[in-house]
Amino acid sequence: MLFQDIMLGLDRFWADQGCVIALPHDTEVGAGTFYPTTFLRSLGSAPWRVAGVAPSRRPTDGRYGDNPYRFQYFFQYQVLLKPSPLDVQQVYLDSLYALGIDPHAHDIRFVEDNWESPTLGAWGLGWEVWMDGMEITQFTYFQQVGGFDCRPVSVELTYGLERIAMYLQGVDHAFDVEYAPGVTMGALRGDFEAQHCRYNFEESDAELQRLLFDKFEVEAKRLLELGLVHPGYEFVMKASHAFNLLDARGVLSQTERQNYVQRVRRLSEASAREYLSQLGELETAPEAS
Amino acid sequence: MPDLLFEIGTEELPSWYVDEGRAALAQLLEERLAAAGLAAEQVRGFSTPRRLAVLAEGLPERSETREELRRGPAAEVAYDDSGAPTRAARGFAQSSGVEPGALEIRDTERGRYVFARIQRGGDAASGVLPALLAGLVEDLPAPRKMRWADVSTPFMRPVHWLLAMLDDTVLEFEAAGVRSAATTHGHRFLAPGEVRLRHASSYVDVLREAFVLADSDERDEATWRAASEAAGAEGLAAHDDPALRAEVRNLVEYPVAVLGRFGEGYLELPDEVLSTVMIHHQRFFPTHAADGRLARFFVGISNNRVTDEDVVRSGYEQVLEGRLYDARFFWDADRRKSLSQHAWGLSGIGFQKDLGSMADKIARVSDVAGRLAEALDLPREERASLDQALPIFRADLSTDMVYELPELEGVMARAYARAEGLPEEVALALEDGVLPRGPGDRLPATRIGAILAVADRVDKVVGFFALGKRPSGSADPFALRRDGLGIARVLNAQGWRLPLADLVLEGAAPHRANGMEIPAEGEAEVERFLWDRVGSLLNEQGMPVPVVRAAVQGSRSVIDASRRAHLLRSLMGHEEFPDLMALYKRAANLARQEERRRNVKPGLFRNEYEAPLFEALPGARRGVEALLAQVREALPGWDLASPPASPLGELGDGVRAVLALKAPLDAFLDNVLVMVDELEVRGNRLALLREVTEVLRELGALDQLEGA
Repeated sequence: MLFQDIMLGLDRFWADQGCVIALPHDTEVGAGTFYPTTFLRSLGSAPWRVAGVAPSRRPTDGRYGDNPYRFQYFFQYQVLLKPSPLDVQQVYLDSLYALGIDPHAHDIRFVEDNWESPTLGAWGLGWEVWMDGMEITQFTYFQQVGGFDCRPVSVELTYGLERIAMYLQGVDHAFDVEYAPGVTMGALRGDFEAQHCRYNFEESDAELQRLLFDKFEVEAKRLLELGLVHPGYEFVMKASHAFNLLDARGVLSQTERQNYVQRVRRLSEASAREYLSQLGELETAPEAS
Repeated sequence: MPDLLFEIGTEELPSWYVDEGRAALAQLLEERLAAAGLAAEQVRGFSTPRRLAVLAEGLPERSETREELRRGPAAEVAYDDSGAPTRAARGFAQSSGVEPGALEIRDTERGRYVFARIQRGGDAASGVLPALLAGLVEDLPAPRKMRWADVSTPFMRPVHWLLAMLDDTVLEFEAAGVRSAATTHGHRFLAPGEVRLRHASSYVDVLREAFVLADSDERDEATWRAASEAAGAEGLAAHDDPALRAEVRNLVEYPVAVLGRFGEGYLELPDEVLSTVMIHHQRFFPTHAADGRLARFFVGISNNRVTDEDVVRSGYEQVLEGRLYDARFFWDADRRKSLSQHAWGLSGIGFQKDLGSMADKIARVSDVAGRLAEALDLPREERASLDQALPIFRADLSTDMVYELPELEGVMARAYARAEGLPEEVALALEDGVLPRGPGDRLPATRIGAILAVADRVDKVVGFFALGKRPSGSADPFALRRDGLGIARVLNAQGWRLPLADLVLEGAAPHRANGMEIPAEGEAEVERFLWDRVGSLLNEQGMPVPVVRAAVQGSRSVIDASRRAHLLRSLMGHEEFPDLMALYKRAANLARQEERRRNVKPGLFRNEYEAPLFEALPGARRGVEALLAQVREALPGWDLASPPASPLGELGDGVRAVLALKAPLDAFLDNVLVMVDELEVRGNRLALLREVTEVLRELGALDQLEGA
């Protein structure tokens, strides 16, 4: 199955499950969880179902394209269901059929894997899903987001698209995956990956990123105070990416790193607070201890 | 005598909770049944990744009846002048469900009151159990419960069904948003859907038919049998690792073994690297040939029996090859640099923000290790090896392999040291220095490694205490207790009579040289902390608390304390020794009256009971020395986390020599008035008693032994 058919198949499947198929957000994020359609919309009491491809950037994970599994830029398929349906595991297994995988023909396991994002003030409990020993999906019941307890609880599914495609196509490197007829992932992304790795690890201007982080932080605070949640949160994402670049450049001491994490976290929490406040649910939202 | 079955069906539980949750559920049910007067003859727990269950066999039909006395109003207001019950008494009788005439008056500490005798219990089990079982779902202890959807009851994972039956009858109730029923669920893939139960007692058999082995022992055996058979097909043995076995059996409901293999070329990686990748990343059983060498086959335990096993096998192989590919990449890349070059990287790895980088730390550790080597009189050749190991100690922390697989720290240092041709003693010491990694781990086998291990840990403990980051209560975020236990175990195993106070002083010196303020009280605090670890290790070995206190307070080094503990426990088991201790106590109480130390002067003896006691002292002293020598010889050093290699055995002549003190001491204490007016005589008698207690106190801080 072509890479693009996997994405289209999942779109179709989750659309049929009542999900909004959202387009990728046009700001760099470390994971689909940062998307406003996940981070912000998982807050509050209103039901919400969303799915879609989430291109993600994790500068420290880059390996210049040498490692078959690790990249600084990759595609997740992100699903968020609020409240979490009781049959979500079965629905998930059904979604595998959409990829041409019959779960009865494989060894599929739900293995404990809990998740925590210090920069988002968020954590959850769940599993990584193993198919024949390979991790193909992260499954998380959000317990806390932006420093607030989740009521009701959302469940987030994150498919590792490259891994699934490698498995389905029987290839050993994500760049060998056929994306569209006659076009491999490597042809689409190979240069991009190698050059960005060089940029992330060797060439990025650390002083510029420090400066940008400071400016983004100030701007995020200013906008959130004005009640502009969405533009404000956008600057939180930008600040977070600036921090990720600094981290990859290896210029942060442990203490400094911790400091940046706390600063992003405070911004995330302020965004969550303002979002809930505008929903009129701040009073009833249980603040986590 | 009916049987009660209760099963909580969930989404996949964390593998470690499958055992823990089963035990917790069985215990909680047992407690609640007992409290409700419904104690069962036997309670058995079952569990798989998708269920926790209990079968309570032989339940009474009705709860035990018991009588309770309920206190009512004071007697004086309960009856009027004519002796008739007042309104207060009648109201109390009514609310207690008895006739006013049945009330009785009793004396209590607070005066006379009326009481009603109330019959409790006798309720049908089927009536009591629904609420009791619902309470189990609410109250089952678990370290980290979660919420899901908008269900208000948290649990380890979302609850899907509740099976509750008393023999063949459903016990109906609702908990965690689910109604109980007489149905369970079979294997997720092999027997999906509901399975109806006819009788509580058929639980295990019904589930076995539905491809679920609910009995943990049965599943464990099936897992191991399947793994062994699969490996056996290639003439190999599966690696028997109890922790792996426990984890694997709790990741499946129905174990199916799949034998796979990896490329021969990966066998050039050190065995530990291969095993770690297989075990920690994939939960595969490594296999080995009869000569113990790792083979290129592995066994994966699948949770599904599929039509085409090759699909699963090739999946396992592909994933494992990917991991091994990475590992070999790191192995090759890391070996392009020597360990000395890797050591440069330590300055980029933080240890603790106020204690500097790992490079700073290793500099301090080198300093401490050097001083320990002096103090322990390390032979010259070993000293040379130590000096060779120090600059590259923990250098593997900056290798790619250890970055990716942190559990291989130490193992990689040894492997890379061998690969670059360093002497074997150095290679072994580098690994030994990070041992023990935890409570069950082995200890350094080499002396140099033991010095590194102790120096590394004492640097950390002293440094963190100086920063005020000491453990408190159950909170020990920096695992300092683990380090303290490591120090105690290594010192004891080496049999070094190194005073703990000296060790702490050495550990503090480099921190002080770096300008850190460590007051004397700070050192004393670390020393107490280390002694507490020694004490807890001895306690865990079943050593009585007073014996441990006496041994610890009477010793300066760990090995002296642990030997004394064994000696004292043995002595306390002797029929006459506790009597001697009672006499010791009387003597010590008297001796305390005299602050000044003076020599006993036989010329001042005024009474026939003084000289015999004095004359018994040299023999007793020799006896104490003989006992201490015996215990030194019998217990040459061992891992404090386990019993000594050979037990202490019968105490020899020493014990008779010490006990020879009993008769004269007894006679002295019974017949000699110590506190006479004549000051010189009084002082002489106190000095004699002081000598007696000092001789005995060589055995330990005997004052702690009361009640031992």
